[in-house]
Amino acid sequence: MSAFVSFKNVTKRFETLTAVDNVSLDIEKGEVFSLLGPSGCGKTTLLRMLAGLETPDSGRVILDGQDITNLPPNLRRVHTIFQNYALFPHMTVWDNIAFPLRVARYPKQEIARRVKGILELIRLGDHDYKYPSQISGGQKQRVAIARALVDQPQVLLLDEPLAALDLKLRQHMLLELDLIHDKVGITFLYVTHDQGEAMSLSDRIAVMNNGRIEQIDPPAKIYEAPRSSFVAAFIGDTNFLQGHVTSISHDYCNLAIVGLTSSVKSYNDKAIRAGSMVHLSVRPEKIHIAKTPPEFKDDLADKINLFSGVVEDIVYQGSHTKYWVKVGAHRIVTNMPHMRFQLDQEEITWGDSVALWWHADDAFMLEQFHATDAALIDPPAQYEEDVEIFRGTGNEP
Amino acid sequence: MKRSLLPIVILIIVLVFLYLPIVVLSLNSFNASRFSGTWDGFTLKWYSTLMQDRTIWQALVNSLIIATFATIGSCIIGTTAALALNRWQTRLQTLHNALIYTPLVVPEILMGMSLLLLFTALKIDCGRHTILLAHITFCVSFVAMTVLARLQDFDTSLIEAGRDLGATAFQAFIKIQLPLLMPGIIAGGLLAFTLSVDDFVITFFVSGPGSTTLPLRVYSMIKHSRQMPVINALSTLLLAVTFLAVIASRLLQIKRVSRSHPFISTTIGGTNK
Amino acid sequence: MNHKRLHEWIVSLPSLFWMVAFFAVPTLLVFALSFRPADTLGGIGAGWTLQTWSHLSNPNYPSIIWRTIWISLAATVICILLALPCAYAMARAPVRWRAILTTLIILPFWTNFLIRVFAWRQLLHPNGPLKQILVSIGIITPDTLLLYNSGAVLLVSVYSFLPFAILPIYAAAEKFDFSLLEAARDLGARSMRAFISVFIPGIRRGLISAALMVFIPALGSYVIPDLVGGPTSELLGNKIAQRTFFDRNLPHASALSALLAAGVLIPLALLALAMRKRPNERGGVGSDRKKS
Ligand SMILES: Nc1ncnc2c1ncn2[C@@H]1O[C@H](COP(=O)(O)OP(=O)(O)O)[C@@H](O)[C@H]1O
Ligand SMILES: [Mg+2]
Repeated sequence: MSAFVSFKNVTKRFETLTAVDNVSLDIEKGEVFSLLGPSGCGKTTLLRMLAGLETPDSGRVILDGQDITNLPPNLRRVHTIFQNYALFPHMTVWDNIAFPLRVARYPKQEIARRVKGILELIRLGDHDYKYPSQISGGQKQRVAIARALVDQPQVLLLDEPLAALDLKLRQHMLLELDLIHDKVGITFLYVTHDQGEAMSLSDRIAVMNNGRIEQIDPPAKIYEAPRSSFVAAFIGDTNFLQGHVTSISHDYCNLAIVGLTSSVKSYNDKAIRAGSMVHLSVRPEKIHIAKTPPEFKDDLADKINLFSGVVEDIVYQGSHTKYWVKVGAHRIVTNMPHMRFQLDQEEITWGDSVALWWHADDAFMLEQFHATDAALIDPPAQYEEDVEIFRGTGNEP
Repeated sequence: MKRSLLPIVILIIVLVFLYLPIVVLSLNSFNASRFSGTWDGFTLKWYSTLMQDRTIWQALVNSLIIATFATIGSCIIGTTAALALNRWQTRLQTLHNALIYTPLVVPEILMGMSLLLLFTALKIDCGRHTILLAHITFCVSFVAMTVLARLQDFDTSLIEAGRDLGATAFQAFIKIQLPLLMPGIIAGGLLAFTLSVDDFVITFFVSGPGSTTLPLRVYSMIKHSRQMPVINALSTLLLAVTFLAVIASRLLQIKRVSRSHPFISTTIGGTNK
Repeated sequence: MNHKRLHEWIVSLPSLFWMVAFFAVPTLLVFALSFRPADTLGGIGAGWTLQTWSHLSNPNYPSIIWRTIWISLAATVICILLALPCAYAMARAPVRWRAILTTLIILPFWTNFLIRVFAWRQLLHPNGPLKQILVSIGIITPDTLLLYNSGAVLLVSVYSFLPFAILPIYAAAEKFDFSLLEAARDLGARSMRAFISVFIPGIRRGLISAALMVFIPALGSYVIPDLVGGPTSELLGNKIAQRTFFDRNLPHASALSALLAAGVLIPLALLALAMRKRPNERGGVGSDRKKS
């Protein structure tokens, strides 16, 4: 089986900087595929190589079985929605949308028919005579989409298309993009640094970091089963635990975790042997917190990791409250949704001793771990170190 | 805090200083006296004398012909220069940049003299064609500068968008870049036209028999004519034309800006030529 | 890669060719031909000679060069002294007024340069209105000559070049943050002191380009001394024109032009170098100058 779009070992350098580093990926026909990663990780560069606006230093770009690596942009049936929309300011909405048809020398009636049709799709029929400076941001966005779709490209590239819109409009456009995709069924390659957008729109996501692809999977898998510490930390929030396997029982293993006194039980899907080093990622919403833990039945108690700690920080976040709890040498972060707030439960405040617990199935073993990725996690307030600095200066003679 | 009135007073005095000679000159064009010091009553006779002077009209025609071709030539050369300067940052462009900018800071008499030497060395007889070559030379810099200013805030992603949507490099240039640059090119062209019609010093050096332009004619009238009031009349007419042109372009500009059209905010009349 | 170079050359070629052929080569020609003898027909003779340059030691020339320099310097200083308060007043005017004032300053200079000089020639003429007024108030006697002297040349030069001083200073002043002046006053500086130690350094770049835009055209000035000056107020420009049109001694005119070119281009090159060392202050020196 061959994919609709493939990058094969593509590398692109700008002087000394390697913007895209030996990337290979396959995109299926009709899917919404997202490139997700922090700003500067090479998403736009990768996208521009598919559009033909950059040429790779090495590797091949294949579209529908044809090698298009060195094809100029105008000969590819691939269109881009630019971050700033790049609408032609000297043309009306109508002329902007007709542009790709005109340069391709479509007959006049055909142009009129198609432009009219697409204007209806984006519900801008009444604005066709206006100039881009006379319409709103959301409308510009829709014109850019219409212009890129009007001659039915094979792939639509979207480079952070919602970044310039405000929050409400962004949510609205996200739904609209989804609808448009359902209607036209064209392959979308969607670039964003916003995990929310990528999660809600995509069939599959490629997480990029430093010009490389870290993981390609459907959104749920990216979230629930991150392969690397970067993916775990960049998408959502998490806790990292490091240790080694002490014993194995059936599908589970017992871990001795650095900085924790009692052992941790975890599902062993990677079939790791005793003695080897492992890194765990535990999402905050998987960790429960209470002043007094409930009674666990025997078979459940066996799979529950229960710890006690002291609350160091609390942040109210609307839908949930976030607690940082000191457990051994770790600061564990946990989220508690508010619907679970129960009257019979005592309110937790700063300095309280609390119990934390999570199920052995709810922690995930990482294949790759880089200590630096821990910095991507929401940093808890760290006053101790600041105080240290003050003491340091105080001791100067 | 109270601000000193002194700067405002000086500004007013300076404005009077700037306009006084022009106003006196215009008034004198209606003065029946041959001498500007005495007022002998209102007359239009100097204007009728002027109308009958065929040499002036011939000079005006010469000026307009030269200015038209100088504008076309310098717009083409100046625009390509600006495109190259904006697009590449190579050694060649550093040299190119110096060649475009230095003429702006060289005294006119030097340029006139050097072109005269060139034509003499090449044994080219001076005439309308040498004036045209000279005018294109000094206009190129002004056009290049004006167009470059517009290019510098040109969004290159528009060209990319055009290519992406199927336009060839040539189509993208013709359909996107050129129309968006047009206001800059037009502003540069207007500047070139006025500079060409206006130039005296360089023209003086490279002119030949039968190629008298309006400024050359005005100069010889000032130097040799006994009829000063006729020059006043001519000057007043020229003043009226330029003032109206400047005011019109200013008004046009304000109107366009207020209509907030996307691409016409260049300073057509605002360029201090 | 090669393709890109070719593209660059093709786009650059028209202007490169034109400016080399009609600007660079002729300018070098000025220097070269000053070492050639003149021929009797008013053309350029064969062979090489230093004779022309030795003629320049003729006592006439040093005094003309000196006069050219001092009149240009005086015009520059006067223009800047007048332009400073004007630009300041314009920059502090309400926004609506600024556009009007700028137009008012530029407007006279859209008119032909010759006409403006001619207007002064008439004003200062022995039969002109200014002379009559001054005589009637008793400031001058009837036989004082207002025209045909260095004073007239200086006056008309200031008149002609003043907008070139006002506009760049105004452009700089408009960007100046006037709250700094208030802050200086607040810290106890008197207003003149605040003006000199805060405002002037703040618009330094505008001042430099104003000075250049007056000084350089003044150095090459020809029309003004020709129309309102006399034999005692000739400048370098007049001599170049005389050697060209009356004696038809082109090598001699070349030598004088070469002198002028060196006097203009060497300081400019030095200034450009100095500016390049401070990249944050780079910018075209004469980027908004009118030819005159
Ligand atoms: N034309 C270019 N010249 C030099 N460096 C570039 C160019 N385009 C992108 N880069 C660099 O390549 C890296 C990746 O850029 P980009 O693909 O735009 O990242 P992203 O879209 O993920 O934010 C960045 O460090 C950027 O500075
Ligand atoms: Mg990007």
